[in-house]
Order: sequence, then C-alpha cells, then structure tokens
Amino acid sequence: MIFHLDNSTSQPVGIVILKKRIDASNSSELQKAFAHWLQQTNRLVFDCTELDFIDSSGLGAIVSCLRKTLEHHGDLKLAGLGPKVAMVFELTKAKKLFSIFSDSSEAIQSFSVVDPK
Amino acid sequence: MKTLIVIKKQEYEWLLDLFPGVHPLLLPICNKPFIEFFVDFSIFTGSNAIRIVSDGPLRDVERYCENGSRWGVEISYGSMLPADELHSVIDKNRRFCQEERVVIISGFLFIHYDKKSDYASLFASLPSGELFSCGRGSISLTGTPVVETNTTTGASPFSLTALDSVGKYYRLSMDILKNGLTRYVLPGYSSESDCYIGRNVVIPKSAEIKKPVIIGNNVQILSNSVIDKNSVIGSNVIIDRESVISGSIVMDNTYIGEHLEVKDKIAAGNLLIDPESGTTIVMEDPHLLTSMAQSKVAGTLLRRVVHALAATLLIILQFLPWFLLRPILGIQGNWKRDKGQYHTGLPGKAFTMTKTTIGNNGPLCAIAKALSLDRFPLLFRVLSGKLLLIGSQPVLINPATRVIPNSMSGYRPGVFSYAEAEDWPEIGIDTEIVEHYYAVHGNPLKDIAMTQKALFNRTH
Repeated sequence: MIFHLDNSTSQPVGIVILKKRIDASNSSELQKAFAHWLQQTNRLVFDCTELDFIDSSGLGAIVSCLRKTLEHHGDLKLAGLGPKVAMVFELTKAKKLFSIFSDSSEAIQSFSVVDPK
Repeated sequence: MKTLIVIKKQEYEWLLDLFPGVHPLLLPICNKPFIEFFVDFSIFTGSNAIRIVSDGPLRDVERYCENGSRWGVEISYGSMLPADELHSVIDKNRRFCQEERVVIISGFLFIHYDKKSDYASLFASLPSGELFSCGRGSISLTGTPVVETNTTTGASPFSLTALDSVGKYYRLSMDILKNGLTRYVLPGYSSESDCYIGRNVVIPKSAEIKKPVIIGNNVQILSNSVIDKNSVIGSNVIIDRESVISGSIVMDNTYIGEHLEVKDKIAAGNLLIDPESGTTIVMEDPHLLTSMAQSKVAGTLLRRVVHALAATLLIILQFLPWFLLRPILGIQGNWKRDKGQYHTGLPGKAFTMTKTTIGNNGPLCAIAKALSLDRFPLLFRVLSGKLLLIGSQPVLINPATRVIPNSMSGYRPGVFSYAEAEDWPEIGIDTEIVEHYYAVHGNPLKDIAMTQKALFNRTH
C-alpha cells in the first residue's frame, strides 16, 4: 500500500495504491493506516490497478474505510478495478456503495466536478 | 437405426480446466448431462444402439450411462486415436456400422431438436451423406434409405451449435431456458410451464422464485433469497440468506453465501465465471462461494475412525453413571425404550434401533439427562459403523414423518445431531438445512467440537 497526496485539485486528494491482495492477513493493516491517512484528507481514492485479489475481509476493510470517510464528510472512490476484483464487488453488491472510475485521474477529477460541499 | 457418436478430446479440452472433476460429456445443460441430449436425439431418430467413441477417457460416461438400459437402448463404448479421421473411425467400428443405417454425430456439438418431431421417419427417408454441419462438427448418415426420400415428413428442422467456449455454453443454456424448455426432456417436476423443480428442494415462504427457472435436487434456498428469472440451479446447492441469483447458472455442489448477487454468471463450486468476458475467479473465501463436494472414501473413513475413538471415550466416561442409574430409573419406570426402523442414508436400506427416553421425575432423571445417558446404548452403534457420533437426527421409516428421498445427500444418522449442537428446533426445515450444511462442510475435528456443543446444549 502506497499513499500520496495529489494537489492538482482545489483540495488535496489522498491516493492509495493497493497492491496484489487485500485479505485477512493485511486488511487490519489497511484499516489502521487508513485512520492516519484520513487525518490528512477526507477525499480519498483507492487505486486498484495493481490489486489482483480481494476476499470478504478485504472487502469489509474497504467498506469500513468508506464508512469512516463518510463520517468525516468526505468520500472514498475506487479506480482501476480489474475484472476479477470488479466481480467480487459486483457479487457482494459492494459496487453500489462506491463511485468507481476506470483510472485514478478520472477519480481525482470527479472530486472537483462534484464537490460534496 | 443406430447412432455412432464420435468426439475428440481436443474439442472439449477447454472445459477440463473450467469445470474440473466433471467429464465434459456429463456437463449439465439445464441440469441435464450433455450426453443425455445425444441419447435422446438418437432415440428420436429411431436408434436402438448407440456407440460412443472418443480418444479421451470415457470411464465416467460409462459409469453414468452404463449399458443404456435406463433409456431402453444398447450403449457401447470405443476408443480412437487423436489423429483418426472420421472415415477411419467408421472403418474401425465397421461391425457396429454394418447391417443397419447409422446416424453419425461427430464433434462436441449441441443438437437443437424438438421432442415432438418425427425424426425417425425423417432419418429413415434421408439419403446417405452429410446432413448438417456447423464447421466444428456434423451429422451424417450411412446406408440406403428405408423408404423413398420424402421431403414432406413434417419434421421440424434442427440445427447444431458447436460448444467451444464458456460464452456459447452459457448462451445455449439461457436459450433453452427462455425458448426451448418444451423442446427437450428435462429433469425435474413441472407443474406449470417454464418451471422445473427437482426433489428435496426447500423453499421458505420468504424466498422468491421467478420463471423461467430450473432447480435440481437437494437444493436449499434460505430466507429472503431471490431466484430471479432465467436461472438454472444445479443439485446439492445451498443459496444462503438474502442472496439474489439472476440470469445465472449455479452448478452442482455449490454454496452461495449470504447477501450475494450472482447476476449473469456461472457459479461452480468456488469458481465464479463471467461467461461473456471469460473472466474466472477462484474464491478462497468460504463466506462467498465454496464447493460442496461429497466426502471422499478416505475422508469418510477418517471421520468414522475419529467418531469411533470419541465414542469409546464417551462410553468409558458414561459407563459408571449408566451402570448405577440405569437399574434405578428402570424400576422407577423412567427409562423408556422405543424400537423402530430408521433410514440409513443408503437408498432403500434401513436399520433397527432402540431409542431411550428418560422421564422427568426427580433428580436422578435430571442427572441422567444431563449426562446424556439416554444416548449411551447408541454409542456402541458408532463402533459398529451403523451411526456417526454426530450427524443427522435419525429418521423413522414412517410415511407420517419427513421422507428421505433416495438421492438426498448429507443424511447420515448420528447419536447426536448437528441441530442439537446448534440448538435449532429438532424438527422442521431448519433442522434439515443445518444438518445438510454440516454434512457437506464438516470435518472430523469440527465434529468433535460439535459433539461437545451438543452435549452442552442438552445439559442446559
């Protein structure tokens, strides 16, 4: 997991690059790190381009991240979902909870188009 | 008339990785094994003998079809070399092909036919040679016509679809489901059009089923689930609570977890396949999708050994209290025995068992119940292999009680039941669901833990 701030829009957007797999072994790590990232910005994008696998605990962690972001009046968007990861989101109906974009730049731009405030 | 079916392994090899453990000729299409469509069609053409020839293994097909007596035809099997052309296969099977006209079906293809059509007259009158072709396979005919060629036989035309991708397999299944249910003989009970339901299907009131739909045997659809239109549910399937199946094929032995939406997909065990893109994911998560393969012999043997050891331990622990309390309870009339015939779990087989009931009078009865002494005599049945230590609640052979169909999987009578362990009501659909679930998901160690839970629940 790599985190950096993108300052191309009016407010900084946190980009999290998720790699390989999010499962029971590292989902709690994601949740812990997310609390720290959320202190820096409430606009976040999970870039899933390099994510190959996700299981129910990983999915639970991502949904938990979304819930925390919404509590901070922000939004968490997903970008670059591969077909396999997208199938899991579709299967679990989690797709309906997130704004999903084909790549992270599109997701970043969407923050400036639709300002939550 | 006879039928020669020639299928090369390379034509169905793509299916081997996709559905491991299922012979491609037994791949269900709308819950009917693929080979049965060939058999039906052969019978409709007037064939009384079918020969299946392949360069791949046919053992599973042979085990399923046997000698064809089930359909009233004679089925035989033959092998060929991968390099063999059709004419050399015919030549090698000339003993089969001589004397009568032979319909030759070559290729891994699906024949769209209509059971109401008179193919026997049509094939008897057609000249020899190739009749239909679809690039990857063909149907041809040998021998001279029995009657003069007559093009006005009234038979519906039929067409061929080569099965060479998962997308075609999916579209074919959906096409049959939407437009062709009346054209084929399909398994299941159909009290109304576009709806075929197999045996031992549990559908709670809160579940919703929309037509057209086909559901196999031993299926449990849990509360608030929706089987939306255009769905094919195989046999031995559990659809857990509040899940939605729509426009999808759920193959045999599949568990679909809670709150899932399977839309326009194929779910096979722990595989989820998008038929259009060909994307396949292997679920490693039993909460989402998992396979419910039947226990293998080795697994069953291990389970029996573990159960026998645990039963021996319980016998040692219970012997003294049973030895002391049994005579007293007997004199008091609080030790009641009831002999009956019970289902074994094997089709048509039964065993005699005496169940003990302890009365409710006094502290001795309470102690005996708390120690589960009523089950003490049954523990010896575990050692003899008649019962499992924990399994299904033994079901009396009595028309008034629930019926165990021959094909019901998962029913294995036990001294203690999974329903007791989970503290579910010991009668009704919920019991069957919980027992079925543990029968297919259980393992020897889990069984020991469940037995402990059953003992604890009976105490409290």
